[in-house]
Amino acid sequence: MSVRKNLIPLGVFVALAYGLPLALAGNRYLAFVCGMTLINVLLACGMNLLYGYTGLMPLMFAGIAGISAYVSVRLSEAGLSFWLAMPLGALAASSLGVLLGLPSLRLKGFYFTLCSLVIQSVITLGFIYFSGFTNGDTGIAQIPLPSLPGGISLAGPPYELMLATFASLGIALLIALVGSSFGQRLVAIREDDGLAEALGIDVTRQKLGAFFIGSLFAGLGGAVYAPYLGFVSPRSFDVLVSLNIWLMVAFGGRGTIWGPVVGAALLTPVPFLLQDYYTIKDVVYGLLIIGVIVALPSGLAGALKLSPRPGASKVAMRARPEKAS
Amino acid sequence: MSNAHTIILMSMLSSGLMLGVIFSLVASGVTIIYGSIWMPNAANGQFFLLGALLTWTMTVQFGLPPAAGALLVIGLSVAFSYLLEILLIRRFYDVPNRNISYFVLSLGLTQISAGLLSITYGVWSDQFQVPPLVRGVTFIGPFPLANTRLAAFAIAIVLLALLFALLRFHKYGRALRAVFQNREAAALRGVDVRAVYRLSFVLGNGVVFAGGILFAYAYSFDLSAAWTMAITAFAIMIIGGPGSVLGALVVGLVFGFTQAIVSTFASPTIAAFSYLGAMLIILLFKPSGLFAR
Repeated sequence: MSVRKNLIPLGVFVALAYGLPLALAGNRYLAFVCGMTLINVLLACGMNLLYGYTGLMPLMFAGIAGISAYVSVRLSEAGLSFWLAMPLGALAASSLGVLLGLPSLRLKGFYFTLCSLVIQSVITLGFIYFSGFTNGDTGIAQIPLPSLPGGISLAGPPYELMLATFASLGIALLIALVGSSFGQRLVAIREDDGLAEALGIDVTRQKLGAFFIGSLFAGLGGAVYAPYLGFVSPRSFDVLVSLNIWLMVAFGGRGTIWGPVVGAALLTPVPFLLQDYYTIKDVVYGLLIIGVIVALPSGLAGALKLSPRPGASKVAMRARPEKAS
Repeated sequence: MSNAHTIILMSMLSSGLMLGVIFSLVASGVTIIYGSIWMPNAANGQFFLLGALLTWTMTVQFGLPPAAGALLVIGLSVAFSYLLEILLIRRFYDVPNRNISYFVLSLGLTQISAGLLSITYGVWSDQFQVPPLVRGVTFIGPFPLANTRLAAFAIAIVLLALLFALLRFHKYGRALRAVFQNREAAALRGVDVRAVYRLSFVLGNGVVFAGGILFAYAYSFDLSAAWTMAITAFAIMIIGGPGSVLGALVVGLVFGFTQAIVSTFASPTIAAFSYLGAMLIILLFKPSGLFAR
């Protein structure tokens, strides 16, 4: 996976990410859909690092984004600049994510996913239960948009340009990571972690690194999401949100740089297109999940043979389901 | 002991037992399906709720007698499970590591079902209450107990006993346990593994639906029952040991009492926290569960 090969698509993405919100600036609604897509691109990149390249399916992804959102909102309220609160929130969330994930990282496959589902449920319950910090089920409303140091408000198109910057940097970081030897080790772990261990790769440490970086993506996504919507509640970060981000990655094509980006771009507008039939969204996403599992195991990218996964796996036949550890 | 204390104690005991047998039933269904086809069915809460909601439709919307409504819902669940097995489940019987595919599949089913239920039943009513199976109230000392709840409890116990007898003594039950233990060996001994898979999917879902129906007769409920039940049944299955019906029974009863006691003295949220915590500890230290076969 050469870095250079991705430069042209990255250029196209940057042009679109900056161009579309500006072109649509006259229509706040469409520009907003663009902004949400950019946030989801950022989240999907983090999920892709974990699910696509490391072979972990973390269903607590939205919970981590949520922790970051709540922490950064509360820190900004306490008078801290958003530009400090955002990285602090993301860092707090990914540290907490690693702490929570640490014991589960030695679990494999289904057991890791189940464990992450439990952790997600604990986080969601925590959002509801610790209502002194999170305002419980009601959520926090009227979160102000940040402004630049010069006092320039980021309302409207400037915020979308900031989101475009984050999304582009996120993709660039993912390309760099995947091209590095760290990325190669992750792919080795995904394909066969027993073999990777035997080759002298410290599997748990690599997974931990991937987990920390993936969670940072989630944390940044959560921190920029909160002021953009102006409202957060436990429902904004529940397990269905994790599942939707997973779907973007799986639908687009796990383990490719651009598959998940396309997945996020195709799936984010769905609820907005449905408008009055908004509640059908869950049904549509659910059908897509089943469709991907049954018919598109390697996503759109796999179906179109855009860029095959490096070392596409020949799954070992196993008579018994995997053991937990 | 004063009357008030007796009543609190009796209410904890009765609701602990009632919730316990329902938890046990649902978890048995989930664990039968996981033990045979390795499908961790995250949609079990939705199936449970569907059972309860369909009972409400039969009795309240269509005005059928309670017992007839319950039987009809069980019949529907069998048809529903067969259809699902033919459309989706059997495609994965030979896939290695299929438990994660099944898990994601069932999460997809959960999302579809949750969406459909919230735009139908969610619009029709906030709270669902079905007419009682048996009218009247029985007093145990100073403590009043609705007869319908007693009846639901008795039926749940009978169902659990039947399930045990089926697994222990019937030909199908022995085949099922053989497949639980070793699929290849069972196939070599002439067990039709696919038929056993199909039957356990239908049986397991039937038991989950039955849990939902009995829950509807014992309590009034709302749509949030699905997610709570899904998490609880999973926790019971993991702690009891996936595939162990005995584990599901014992841990289900323990969870029922935990729920009753913790909800009385603290809040249901604390009860949920404690299940999740217990499940995490078991996952991390003894993933095969307490009653591993």
